[in-house]
Amino acid sequence: MAQPFPYTYYSCDCYDSKVAAAPTKHASQGIPPAEDEDERDFDPRSPGANYSLYPLEHLLYCEDCQQIRCPRCVVEETLNWYCPSCLFEVPSSVVKTDGNRCTRNCYNCPVCSSPAVVTTLEDPFDPSSSGGPWLLLCTYCKWTSLEIGIEFEKHTGITAQLARLGNGGRTIPSHKEREKERERRLELDKHKSRDILSGSEDSPTTDKRDDGPPSHDDIYANLSAFYKSQLAAQQPSNPFSPHDINFSSPSSFSRIMNLYSSSTSKKQKREKPTPMREAASPLEGLTLHSPSTDTAIIDRLKTSGWSRTLSPAQKLAQMTPTVRFTSDLRPLASILCTKRGKRCRSCRHILSKPESKITSTRYKIKLLARNHIPRLSLRALHTSTSASASATAAAAAILPFNYDSLRPGLPIHFLLHISNPLFDPVRVTLATPSLTPGRVHTRVTILCPQFDVGANTDVWDDALSGSTDTAAGGLKRFSASGEGGAGRGTEGSGGAVEAGKIWERGRNWTSVVLEVVPGKDGKA
Amino acid sequence: MSRPSARKAAPKGEYIETDSGNKVSRRSAITGTANITLGGRTVIMADVHLRGDLHPTRAAPSTSGKEPITTSISIGRCTVISTGSVIRPPSRISRGEVHYYPMKIGDNVFIGPHCTISAISISSHVHISHHVTIHPFAMIKENVKILPHAVIPANMVIPSGSVVGGQPARVVGEVGEGWGVGGGVSGGIGGGEKGGEKGWVEGGDLRELVRSVK
Ligand SMILES: [Zn+2]
Ligand SMILES: [Zn+2]
Ligand SMILES: [Zn+2]
Ligand SMILES: [Zn+2]
Repeated sequence: MAQPFPYTYYSCDCYDSKVAAAPTKHASQGIPPAEDEDERDFDPRSPGANYSLYPLEHLLYCEDCQQIRCPRCVVEETLNWYCPSCLFEVPSSVVKTDGNRCTRNCYNCPVCSSPAVVTTLEDPFDPSSSGGPWLLLCTYCKWTSLEIGIEFEKHTGITAQLARLGNGGRTIPSHKEREKERERRLELDKHKSRDILSGSEDSPTTDKRDDGPPSHDDIYANLSAFYKSQLAAQQPSNPFSPHDINFSSPSSFSRIMNLYSSSTSKKQKREKPTPMREAASPLEGLTLHSPSTDTAIIDRLKTSGWSRTLSPAQKLAQMTPTVRFTSDLRPLASILCTKRGKRCRSCRHILSKPESKITSTRYKIKLLARNHIPRLSLRALHTSTSASASATAAAAAILPFNYDSLRPGLPIHFLLHISNPLFDPVRVTLATPSLTPGRVHTRVTILCPQFDVGANTDVWDDALSGSTDTAAGGLKRFSASGEGGAGRGTEGSGGAVEAGKIWERGRNWTSVVLEVVPGKDGKA
Repeated sequence: MSRPSARKAAPKGEYIETDSGNKVSRRSAITGTANITLGGRTVIMADVHLRGDLHPTRAAPSTSGKEPITTSISIGRCTVISTGSVIRPPSRISRGEVHYYPMKIGDNVFIGPHCTISAISISSHVHISHHVTIHPFAMIKENVKILPHAVIPANMVIPSGSVVGGQPARVVGEVGEGWGVGGGVSGGIGGGEKGGEKGWVEGGDLRELVRSVK
């Protein structure tokens, strides 16, 4: 996620299968990419690096594999679903039947994606008994459901009302009505073909009402009914029929067992199953491309213009992504979110598991990388007037360093701060190419490439382990540092930038200076 | 080495510190002080405008007596409101009258510079970047990061753990498991500005940041 510059990204080496096969121990090492760099060079500028660079707070740590785990090398498991808008949990059984959308009154604007609210159209001087009619209103872009000709009778149960309300106020047939209508038409078609065969020309074809091309829902309903009927036709009434080719069904299993147990093990002639046919008519879900609909769309484009068409994002957000015009938009029921646990991809240990309650933000298990690998941060160093540090700090607070205006050829000092979360001291070895790759060759020099970072011991342990004399001193130092002073137990070059020396050191952190000489544009 | 004791001796500072450790800039504009509560160790920077005067009124406006004092803005502990932000309780017009609703801001909330906030509630450990606009009645849950220049539409509920951005804002990602962990005491003790490490992390404990505000 967008971080204030300069930020630190950590490279997870899971993209490299070679490394994954032979896990190396990073726990006591410095920066992961700095290791075994002889074998491979990690190029942070390659497009593929985008998928292996993460901020530290996105990384987990597998204690069994002793590896950091990034979003790519964990497996997620959904604990529960909930609506991001009303924050109600949706049981997984409901998700399976009703899909991944909220079935309460949570709707988003189809134009700008903001949440839409149910408001009344009631005339204050002529109030209605129900307080309605109601409509969906986007408070951000002022889109209302009136633009697609939809009004609601009640302010609750919007999903149920929308299911019956088509754009322009037309009623959408329910599943059952659709079924009936299809049956009726199929019957009609049968009659018609019989009539044609028998030669009578005066068949009642006038019944066929023409209401444009069938809707997406109609086509889907027809197709699914067709395939269901096909499957039913394949299922034989007799379980021991030789046509039963469903090997996994209990009937065929028992048939096969019967075959083998019987003494007459003559091979039964296996009949080829009749292949399922495809949809052949609109009532079976077949859609034929008709040039007339194309010309109708082109005509509509001519008359209504660009402003009435949809952007790709708006189109994709729709349930039927074939829509083209603003008049075809449907309000979007909000998409459910999930709470997920994470496991290590290679050893399957749980790395993080949130509490399943929606309102809870706590975790049952959370193994963070930041507790296992050093934390790095880079910042410009203000050393112009090192004599009066507080004055510089004050000036720096007013005028922050502008990272966007580095001047070519002018050396700048950066401070690399490394803090150690482990209870053991670590030795850090840093390396950098002397010239950065890419268009602008910037010279980077680490003034102190090898140093130690102290252990993350408890300050109190530290104090108590020593003699009484030093313990008192430790306590005193602690209280001083608790006030935010930087004076406690720090050592280092004390203000002067010097090669081979660390800049400053604390209990579990060390900072070193990098000298950066920004290069000129390679082309210039 | 910058010691706080040396700084305290400085002439009349930018901030007035209350008994509970709140630091309020002398250059901030606070109206309706009686309707505002600060949890303690909270920072109100310069040019911040807290509209405590926009407070909820009783449902029956006919009573001509004194209006009871009600809270309009309540801010938790260790929350930082940066320069130039405006905190304005949300309102709704009903039967021709404007009604204000109390706004609640949690603990360890960072509100960046030049924001306009009209949310109904902002939960704890929320990081709001600069130039963010939050329209009335938006509800922001715990551990949320709002990217710069985002506009949160009215009534939007942002579930906890989300990263939101854009105009209008939508959820663009999730904060990592490590959101808000660290910083504070363990991260940069003794480090301060000098150590190159800021002693706080986004979404984390802001005590260290509050302490550094002088
Ligand atoms: Zn990985
Ligand atoms: Zn919902
Ligand atoms: Zn909208
Ligand atoms: Zn593992």
